[in-house]
Amino acid sequence: MTKKLNIALVGNPNSGKTTVFNNLTGTHQYVGNWPGVTVEKKEGTCRYQDYQITVADLPGVYSLTAYSLDEIIARDFIVEEKPDVVVDIVDAGNLERNLYLTVQLLEMGARLIVALNMMDEAGGRGYRIDLEHLSYHLGTPVVPMVASRNRGTQELLGQIARIAESRVPPSGLRIDYGREVEEEIEKLEDLISQSALSRLYPARWLAVKLLEEDEEVTKKFKEGNVD
Amino acid sequence: MLTNEEILRAKDRALAHLRSIYGDDAETIIADRRYGFISGVLKDVVKKPAIERLAWSDKIDRVIVNRWLGIPIFLAVMYGMFQFTFTLSAPLMDWISAGFDFIAVRAVGISPEWLGSLIGNGIIGGVGTVLTFIPPIFLLFIAIAVLEDSGYMARAAFVMDRLMHKVGLHGRSFIPMILGFGCNIPAIMATRTIENPRDRLITILINPLMSCGARLPIYILLAGAFFPAYRGLVVFSMYLIGIILAILMALIFRKWLLPGPIGHFVMELPPYRLPTITGVLVHMWERGKHFLIKAGTIIAGVVVLVWLLSSMPWGVQYAGPDSWIGHLGRFIAPIFAPCGFGQWQAAVSLFFGFLAKETVVGTMGAIFAVKEGSLGTAIASQLSWTPLVAFAFMVFSLLYVPCVATIATIKAETNSWKWPAFTIGYELALAWIMAALIYQIGSLLGLG
Repeated sequence: MTKKLNIALVGNPNSGKTTVFNNLTGTHQYVGNWPGVTVEKKEGTCRYQDYQITVADLPGVYSLTAYSLDEIIARDFIVEEKPDVVVDIVDAGNLERNLYLTVQLLEMGARLIVALNMMDEAGGRGYRIDLEHLSYHLGTPVVPMVASRNRGTQELLGQIARIAESRVPPSGLRIDYGREVEEEIEKLEDLISQSALSRLYPARWLAVKLLEEDEEVTKKFKEGNVD
Repeated sequence: MLTNEEILRAKDRALAHLRSIYGDDAETIIADRRYGFISGVLKDVVKKPAIERLAWSDKIDRVIVNRWLGIPIFLAVMYGMFQFTFTLSAPLMDWISAGFDFIAVRAVGISPEWLGSLIGNGIIGGVGTVLTFIPPIFLLFIAIAVLEDSGYMARAAFVMDRLMHKVGLHGRSFIPMILGFGCNIPAIMATRTIENPRDRLITILINPLMSCGARLPIYILLAGAFFPAYRGLVVFSMYLIGIILAILMALIFRKWLLPGPIGHFVMELPPYRLPTITGVLVHMWERGKHFLIKAGTIIAGVVVLVWLLSSMPWGVQYAGPDSWIGHLGRFIAPIFAPCGFGQWQAAVSLFFGFLAKETVVGTMGAIFAVKEGSLGTAIASQLSWTPLVAFAFMVFSLLYVPCVATIATIKAETNSWKWPAFTIGYELALAWIMAALIYQIGSLLGLG
């Protein structure tokens, strides 16, 4: 009996996301549009063991603020469609910049796998990355890959199946924002958890987004007053 | 059930409270903490080889992008760039103009008389004058290429990031501004890297205020004639006025025209590199060739038109007040009287400068039709300009309307005629107000 899984690929531009998408789905791809906008939406399917996996290739973004259409699309998909697994493609040679997105994904409570791509280039430049420690700090599995040579794809699929099967709720990374900010987050979190929106999104995430003066989230609260 | 309004009010209180503690937006503090977390993780996880060059780069950056030294260093670098350009180009310009004089004297003797006048007065007087400015323009482009290839320009953008944030833009907007020193067209295209459409539009709208290479001949001509001892400083001041007004206009546009949040971005500082000679020459040529192409096409065309208008109706004194160009000039000139340069020759030069800014100088060359080297003197004596008027004229040339090609680029990039029309309107107003203020206040202070 086949089991269905929905996964989403996210990552910075130039992280090799499209290559990973091609490795996973091969010729089983179709292109559409995201609802209401003219940005291209790429989806594909692949089979792994007895899983039928639908893969959504989200736009390449550096962060998940509400500043650009791409970022809003990526964020809404993860928050609203709630894919079973989110695969974050990370350029191993550019960890500092790439992990900013990873941190935001974790804060959103996404069930995440970090696919550490371009391991060959990072190694060539003399970087030594301790995968176990990275996985420990982030609280997510980390899969090393060289997507350009189709290395790591089977390991990634194995990890996807394992995570989807485990049913353990995502740990949800908590960054300590400092005493004063944390106090405000806590106060807002208390209020938010009594509102309808907290049934759709994690309360802490909403609180942080409000403090970041995120336009989209603020709008959600304003619109919520109507009904 | 708690209303969302209460939550939003609580948010506003929280933000005000945090701002009073940190003096900064909560957004910035949150981003800093995230990066702090990441760099903490990376310290534990990644072992990097000690790359000599990187460490060396970091040491230089401690000075170059220093919070206090960064902007003074940037200004000093720019000033040095103009001094380099003028010192080296002065003798080269003398040689070129001597060469054109040699040809012009023989050309005027050609019969029939009108052909001699067309070649001697029109083409050599106009195009020749513009070509005299090849050395400073190419030297400036060499200097810009060296600064870019060495990695300094990325630092300059980084240094300006803090200042740009104050006016509601970020450092990524400053890179197209620096590119504008070469030519505004590629600079406006470079704004495509700015993700937020409002940020991008503001960056496009202020870009023509950045003084492009085509305006350099005007400054060199007038600074050389009216401010011989302070040439470098006067030209430098034009670029500075352009930057300051661009930042001010950005502030105004952000506040009243296109309000919105400031985007964040990660700015990468490439390691410093020794520029290669080939690289610098290639970059100089990429920018400079457009100048040569323009001189051969649009500028030559305008100059022939100016010559024709100056010679018509038949038998009129060449470029006299009763020639067609004189009529055109006298029609426009009164607008410029409050700015100090209400002479018809100045008016028509600015009129044709709309096609390409080099033609301001080309038109003057064709009208005065004197030996190139002394065009500056001809302007001083025949228009009886003072240094104050020359300065006001330079400021006006810096600010007024983008050239036709830039307007077409703004249209293409914003996909509407609204924004190019807006740019023309606000720039004309800004140029006129600035020039009139300089002339009027300067006259009151007895500088005229």
